Amino acid sequence: MLVILASLPTLLPRFYVYILAVIFVMALLAMSLNMLVGHGGLFQFHHGAFYGVGAYTAALMLTKTSLPAWMGLVAGPFAAAFVGLVIGVFCVRLNRLYFGMLQISLGSLLWAIAFRWYNVTGGDDGIHGIPLPSLIASSTGAYYCGLILLTLSLLVLYLIYKSPFGATLQAIRDNPERCEAIGIHVRHHQLMAIVIATFFAGISGVLFVVVEGSVFPDLLFWVFSLEVFIMCLLGGWFTFAGPIFGAAIIVSLRTFVGTYTEYWTLILGIMLILLIFFLPEGVWGYLLEKLGGRKHKEYR
Amino acid sequence: MELLQTITLPALGSHLLVGLSRAMILFVVTSGMSLVLGVLRVPNVAHGSLYMIGAFAAFSISHLFGGGPLGFWLALILSPFVVAAVSLIAERSLFCHLYEREHLMLLLFTFALMLILGDLVKMVWGADYRSIMAPEFFRGSVTLFEAPFPRYNLFLLVVGPLVAVGLWLFSNKTRVGKIARAAAVDREMVGAIGINVSWVFAFAFVLGCFLAGLGGALVSPTVSITIGMDHDIIMDAFLIVTIGGLGNMWGAMVGSLIFGITQSFGVLFLPQFAIVFPYLEVVIILIWRPTGLLKSVW
Amino acid sequence: MKQGFSVAGIALLGCLLAMTLVFLPGHAEARNIKVGIIDCYSGPAAVYGNDALNGFKMAVDEINKEGVLGGKIEWTKRDTKFKVDLALNMAKELVMREDVDVIVGTINSGAAMAVSEAIAKKEKVPFIAWISKSEKITGEKGHRYVFSTGENTAMAGKAGGVALSKKPYVKYWIAGDDYEYGHAIGNAAWRNLKAGKPDVEKIGESWWKPGEPDLTPYITAILAAKPDAVIFCTGGKSMTNVLKAVKATGMAEKVPIWIHTATDHAVLKPLGSEAPEGVMGTMDYHFYYPDSKTNKAFVEKFEAAYGQAPGFPAFHGYITAYYIAEAFKKAGSLDTEKFIDALEGMKIQSPVGELEMRACDHQVVLPMYLGVTKKAEGKDFAISTEIVTLTGDEVMPTCDEIKAARGE
Repeated sequence: MLVILASLPTLLPRFYVYILAVIFVMALLAMSLNMLVGHGGLFQFHHGAFYGVGAYTAALMLTKTSLPAWMGLVAGPFAAAFVGLVIGVFCVRLNRLYFGMLQISLGSLLWAIAFRWYNVTGGDDGIHGIPLPSLIASSTGAYYCGLILLTLSLLVLYLIYKSPFGATLQAIRDNPERCEAIGIHVRHHQLMAIVIATFFAGISGVLFVVVEGSVFPDLLFWVFSLEVFIMCLLGGWFTFAGPIFGAAIIVSLRTFVGTYTEYWTLILGIMLILLIFFLPEGVWGYLLEKLGGRKHKEYR
Repeated sequence: MELLQTITLPALGSHLLVGLSRAMILFVVTSGMSLVLGVLRVPNVAHGSLYMIGAFAAFSISHLFGGGPLGFWLALILSPFVVAAVSLIAERSLFCHLYEREHLMLLLFTFALMLILGDLVKMVWGADYRSIMAPEFFRGSVTLFEAPFPRYNLFLLVVGPLVAVGLWLFSNKTRVGKIARAAAVDREMVGAIGINVSWVFAFAFVLGCFLAGLGGALVSPTVSITIGMDHDIIMDAFLIVTIGGLGNMWGAMVGSLIFGITQSFGVLFLPQFAIVFPYLEVVIILIWRPTGLLKSVW
Repeated sequence: MKQGFSVAGIALLGCLLAMTLVFLPGHAEARNIKVGIIDCYSGPAAVYGNDALNGFKMAVDEINKEGVLGGKIEWTKRDTKFKVDLALNMAKELVMREDVDVIVGTINSGAAMAVSEAIAKKEKVPFIAWISKSEKITGEKGHRYVFSTGENTAMAGKAGGVALSKKPYVKYWIAGDDYEYGHAIGNAAWRNLKAGKPDVEKIGESWWKPGEPDLTPYITAILAAKPDAVIFCTGGKSMTNVLKAVKATGMAEKVPIWIHTATDHAVLKPLGSEAPEGVMGTMDYHFYYPDSKTNKAFVEKFEAAYGQAPGFPAFHGYITAYYIAEAFKKAGSLDTEKFIDALEGMKIQSPVGELEMRACDHQVVLPMYLGVTKKAEGKDFAISTEIVTLTGDEVMPTCDEIKAARGE
């Protein structure tokens, strides 16, 4: 499988390689979000904020400091996880929709910083033409960078998903009261999950910089976060690999259908409604059920 | 200090009035959202789109009747019904089949509705900026607290409380209102005593959307009517119903007042930070009271 | 676990295969010039995107009657929905899949700069910005592959600053949309005003969220401070909100106001008789001014084709198409580098007279029209009156200033 993906850049036209790299970025972001939404049952409404923090950290380190490039790329995820920790500490005290709204507000403050602090972040224009190490500067280089990081991240996320920690998280999702009663510290587990997920969101933010060479405040805007949220639901939020599907579908839709009509959001809307009625488990969830008779897990 | 010179008693008074009139529009919009949140437990992302349709419908109706005072009043009265009709269709044909699903699926549905309505508005009305005029009587301004205060805003200060009173009467004095309130607290119980919950839900949803349309119609003479209005209002509306207490209609009132007045005074004291006021307020209030200011039904 | 991975991989492959099959790249027949347009056709800015496209289409139809170098100009458009990431996706698609010769667009300055830096410069494809107004595009961030056929914040601000410096006002208040465009106009206007009239004084500033629906509190606060004149830095949808608030509070009668693009027809027309009179505005194009034969012919043709008068974006779109055609003709081939060499310093005839594409910064030299809003006689909308023309040399930053900004 990996061999095929690795050989694609030699077979495919350049543009498809680029779009695949974009899908990798979005897939990783959606996967990290799904760890919270699908597996953790948290209303993580503003995941894009952490993606943006990762991207901006990398971009600022690459353009404003003379430190080696790899340090900038490594700093992104850690900055995102740190911000995730700080925001998470406030948010986990709250329930469901309140959690989501507080997060949107805190994330929007970050957006305002990116949008307003002209001298550092470039304001609403953003930073473009970010210099990258030559190894990953070409579209093929970016593709491989994305492929490798996505594979490693998926590996780690899968291990977490299958670990006792992952199982606890899913148990908390299904019945937080009971978990509390048997002595699980629910808030700690949720906070831990947020830090891990935001770390991976940071990785995907850095990947975005590698693929596009730009950062701009849209990355931290709530509209974008909602799109990522939709990717999770679309692909299948109770499954592990579902969000990859969601990301691939939305990116392909806006790129290829967008070529033919400016009304692709209408098509997306209709698709979503069909999905809700006929495939409530998401595209991937449905396929899994058909293929393997996977046990249907009801979520409250 | 330059700053202190501008902050005089009259300035405070006039800003209070301006803030209150802004709060009235916000209240009309968010009370509808809060109603839907309370009864149906759905965060309606499409609420902003319905508000936008209200404004566009007001434009069309007003132009159909020549743009004069008659057109304005008809627009104000009819466009909420147009929006209510749109929402009734969406509710009966699609939404009513989903009430048993998870919250996130309902959220996803309203998001899909927002996408569809956004594009439909563009197809119907196009991308040009639209504008309608208030009748002669509401144009210009009166001088209050030594500052000009637009007459239309005075009108808003009257309409807001009227809507609030109407909603109070609805929820406390009418049968369907009482059922809706009961359904908000315990929908199984209401169903068990033989009431058709589905129709109660439909009624609450349509009424909520009616209020969104009314808000859109009310705001239309003061702003540019354009696609993209939905995005401008929806986040503020969500933040307001959150700080007020989800699903609590008086919470929507409190939240709107806080937003309107802090915005207005913020402009006077710290204009450079106007862009972050709403978010800061929500952060402070939710850290202080994790479920909003008033009692939440959630 | 392995299974999880391979299914994920198969999933990806499946999606990819499907899209390759459905959307195989089309092959160009006889060599036409391909222009890729990225612009905003959704959201509040769509009114400008559509207008520019109409102007461009009209010019292309005229040009294709004769053809260019034996071929025609073909174009294809992509909607960016005012999002930078979409603009990048779309521009890359145009360059890599459609193999366009030139990219043009967009109203979104952030998107224009992203495309300029991340695509035009990197892929060596010429990009012509036609409505986005950031002065950085051809200023400090300019390079060989980016051009601008629109006016920018430096020019607009200078036009306002120079005009205001001739007026007697001393105490100013600056207010506007809290984003790059607003601040850039404000800074440029203030810089030039201060240079022309050193005793001016800024008594306050206020900035609102772009698209803020209710501006009354801002205006009340400004009026309370009693400035001699106010500079508003706003545009598009917010402009309507500002003008409505100005009208409702009667501000225009109390204090002189200058707003760049206040005299824009796209804004004044929907306002009808509700537009405030006496507001100073600057524009780079009016369909009713200059009252020349060429402009009238252009407007008539445009109205016949699209049922409405051309706005400034239509004018930019129109001249952009002619610049592309003329530059390819002069280059004598479809070679990108030759095209750029030909475009540098090129002069073309436009509806408002001869225009030059300045070689030093790739910015077209446009005159600015300073006017005052007034209700048009016999019409139901306001127009710009008492128009004073500021020539391109008066409002453009000099080549030396550009060089300094680029650190050359």
